[in-house]
Amino acid sequence: MPYLLSFHWGWLVGSLLLGLAMGWISVVQRGNGTSKVVARWLALLVAGLVGAASARVVPGRFGYWLDLGLVMFACYLVGCTIGAWLRHWVVSRTQPVPEAS
Amino acid sequence: MQKVFRWASKWWPGLIPLAVMWGIAAWTNTVPVETDLSARAAAAVKDTVLNRTRITVAGRDVGFSAEAFSEEGRRAAVVAVENVPGVRLVDDRTRLVPEAKPFVWNAERDVVRVTLSGSAPLPAVKGRLVEAARKDLGGVEVADQMGLARGAPPRFEAAALLLVDQIGKLKDGKISVSDNTIHLSGMARELGGREAIADALKNLPEGFSVANEIKAPPYVFQANKDPVAATVTLTGYVPDDRVRAAIATAAARKFFGEKIVDNLKASIGAPASFGGAVVAALGALSRLSTGTLVVSDREVKLSGDALYDGAAADIRAGLGKDFPKTWQYKPEITVKPAAGPVDGTVCQQLFAQVLTKGKIRFETRRANIDPDSAGLLDHLIETALRCPNTDIEVAGHTDSDGEDSFNQALSEKRAQAVIDYLVKAGLPAGRFTAVGLGSTQPVAGNDTDEGKAQNRRIEFLVK
Repeated sequence: MPYLLSFHWGWLVGSLLLGLAMGWISVVQRGNGTSKVVARWLALLVAGLVGAASARVVPGRFGYWLDLGLVMFACYLVGCTIGAWLRHWVVSRTQPVPEAS
Repeated sequence: MQKVFRWASKWWPGLIPLAVMWGIAAWTNTVPVETDLSARAAAAVKDTVLNRTRITVAGRDVGFSAEAFSEEGRRAAVVAVENVPGVRLVDDRTRLVPEAKPFVWNAERDVVRVTLSGSAPLPAVKGRLVEAARKDLGGVEVADQMGLARGAPPRFEAAALLLVDQIGKLKDGKISVSDNTIHLSGMARELGGREAIADALKNLPEGFSVANEIKAPPYVFQANKDPVAATVTLTGYVPDDRVRAAIATAAARKFFGEKIVDNLKASIGAPASFGGAVVAALGALSRLSTGTLVVSDREVKLSGDALYDGAAADIRAGLGKDFPKTWQYKPEITVKPAAGPVDGTVCQQLFAQVLTKGKIRFETRRANIDPDSAGLLDHLIETALRCPNTDIEVAGHTDSDGEDSFNQALSEKRAQAVIDYLVKAGLPAGRFTAVGLGSTQPVAGNDTDEGKAQNRRIEFLVK
């Protein structure tokens, strides 16, 4: 893992920034996101991929690409989370507190 | 938490550019990652002794094949590759170097090259053996056909290095090691090479047995008698300077009219009894008019022309008994065509000529003829045969040392001994008269050793 991080740090930072941007947008974006069912299927897929990567069952270059994809995805998720929290924090500060009626 | 899930449900559009980035990252980084890991893995096993190491990398998975020289070394190498940062899986295709049974190593020399073949226990040992061969055999091609195998006997390297040293002393041949047995065969480059190799083999490490069948080039001594140039040329080898001096001294005594040209070289490797045999053979050569003596190891070849039939038969029959039993004697003696008869005056001149060049020698104070005078006597007999109708007086003279009566008696006995020799050679006894003159007719002063030596003489007077 440290080797993956150090060798691909540029790409991982890119994923993180992409995540930050996506998270930033997601807080104020209107409209529906993915449904719960799709989200669960997606989570299951990711869990399966993580399991496959951990068990090292995917050989050779495909295994490496899987590891790289999952690490980039993790960075993306971290970026999204941080971006969303930041945006939420900014939004909550600038909005007037609704007066009690 | 609820909010996070709500936000997260809107993060999916970013996955599209993320997938694009992932694709580009995978496209551009796969080969650099593989190259980097390959280099790291190679560096990790650099200090481990391995043969045929091959590292292939697919993604972060390393395919590692190599031949190790011990189980510990094999395991250590695999662990070293597994511990390289970034390596995910190691496909262990390592194995141990095959064990050779018997463990055979050969060094073979022919005219143009030295070939090292068989097995070496380690690459470093292999390299050192080739290096040593190149160093010892400057200019000779060294072909390395050695493989690697386990199972070398203890102290193999020390033994093999010593054997590589011996290859330089061979003209052609083969040295082989099979487990603890060493076998050497072939021909030594120089005289003494066989002995030098035998000496060196004494320094072999313990535990090796040796079968040394190295042959040496023939130990050759040659003497050529050339009556035209009046020289006897000695060539070839003698064991040492002491034997050389003894041979030169003996030659000077035996050859009365020829100059001795000594082109001998000293070298070890002579067969036993060499000096004595050569001196005896030179005695036979001195009796020939012209001839060549070749002593090659234990074989003596004498060829040339004897002065008369009796001498030829005597030389053919007599020389063999002077050699050790294991020696071979091959006489190729012919007889010089008899010279035409001459009258008494010429015969007298011929006797005088012969006796000017050399003197008949006797044992000190006795009348026994020294065998070294056989050549001179043959010439006298040949001369006597040319004037068959003459009578000859053989006169003995002594120096002035001792009593006159003793000298007179000794001179007469010596003259008679010479006549006996001539008669034994086939001349009629009636032609010869012995006269003993003691010291009454000196030809030089008796006050010096040189003068005395001149006075001690036998003269032939044709009547």
